[in-house]
Amino acid sequence: MTNPPEEMRVIEDAEQRGRTDLWPFWRRAYALGDPLPSLACTVSRPEHRFDEGDRLPDEYRDLLLKMLRHEGERAGNKSFLGLMATCLDLGEALFPAPAKVLKAEYLAEELKHAIMFHRIAVGLQHDFALRDVPYAHYAFHLPRETWADDAFFHFFVDLNGAFHSRDWRESSYVPLRKMAATVERDELGHSEMGYYFLQEIVSDARGRALAQALLPKWYAAALDMFGRSDSPNTPRFIQWGLKSVGNAEIRAAYKGYVDRKLAALGLDLPDARAGRRFL
Amino acid sequence: MTFAGAAAIVRAVTDATPILEEIRRAYAAVGITLDSPATYGTYYRLLCAGCGRMVGNVGDRLLPGMAQDLVAGQFDLYAAGLLGCGCGHQRERARALDATRASAARARYGG
Repeated sequence: MTNPPEEMRVIEDAEQRGRTDLWPFWRRAYALGDPLPSLACTVSRPEHRFDEGDRLPDEYRDLLLKMLRHEGERAGNKSFLGLMATCLDLGEALFPAPAKVLKAEYLAEELKHAIMFHRIAVGLQHDFALRDVPYAHYAFHLPRETWADDAFFHFFVDLNGAFHSRDWRESSYVPLRKMAATVERDELGHSEMGYYFLQEIVSDARGRALAQALLPKWYAAALDMFGRSDSPNTPRFIQWGLKSVGNAEIRAAYKGYVDRKLAALGLDLPDARAGRRFL
Repeated sequence: MTFAGAAAIVRAVTDATPILEEIRRAYAAVGITLDSPATYGTYYRLLCAGCGRMVGNVGDRLLPGMAQDLVAGQFDLYAAGLLGCGCGHQRERARALDATRASAARARYGG
């Protein structure tokens, strides 16, 4: 195994020094085994492999850029930095003191991802590196009016990122494949941070009532985040090796995961079709 | 044109979108004000209309009808003090809007 470049060793050292009994949350989750389901491609498709600097087929480039626009965690994406600013605002205004430092660790790790995706963007298309792409999905825009809202946001939305990153482990785009395991691990940890907050919140009766009341809003949005089951682009993503499974399959795997976790909190599961906008 | 001037125009255009107006109206009903864009025009702070304290935030890409549904669906939480400012403004607002329902919410959730 080659040593990471000097600047990455500095980041690794900084991360090591930030470790506590809780942080990073992914450590405990992966210590118990692989927490995520496998997302194996079951359709026949050609083998593709493209690295940075390779000439990319037009359709492949378009789909890859579309995927990265949707992902959004890029240092040059003002809207990503705006979303992070909202997290800072909430941390300052609504979080109990012991949770504030965890939120700060979360932000630091997301900014690390922003550097990683920045490198991909620069390697792919220079003018993409500074392109502002506001988050299009409504899940990123739902009101967060309490610590519990933010806990659900992390539990559900960061987990969506973990599932997609799991899928990128088999990506035909080598730079994405190389960073997939790290991003998956971190995003799973962010989801576990939200879950840890939820465990705290439901530990008293009013908190439990609040979480139960807010759950339908986040549950519907979380399932909607995977898009329409009949999306016409999905077969093209799969054929080019940019995705392994369709929207319906990854949503079903995700739903199974979150349902088990929510049941363990003692929360009643909402109707999976209620409030949905993208079936 | 200065950057500040350009930003003001962008803000004015953004402010005029129907979704933002819907969000503003929905929250005004329960005593919450939509602040200026927090960063780069995509996200907005929610401020208590009673004391000005920040009570949350919201983005401007909600789907039509969503803000109204969400805020209306949270009426009982405002009434019981599970959502809203510690100064009690949203709680009082809920009581003023529908005293019977607000009383039932407090009985159900406590507070």
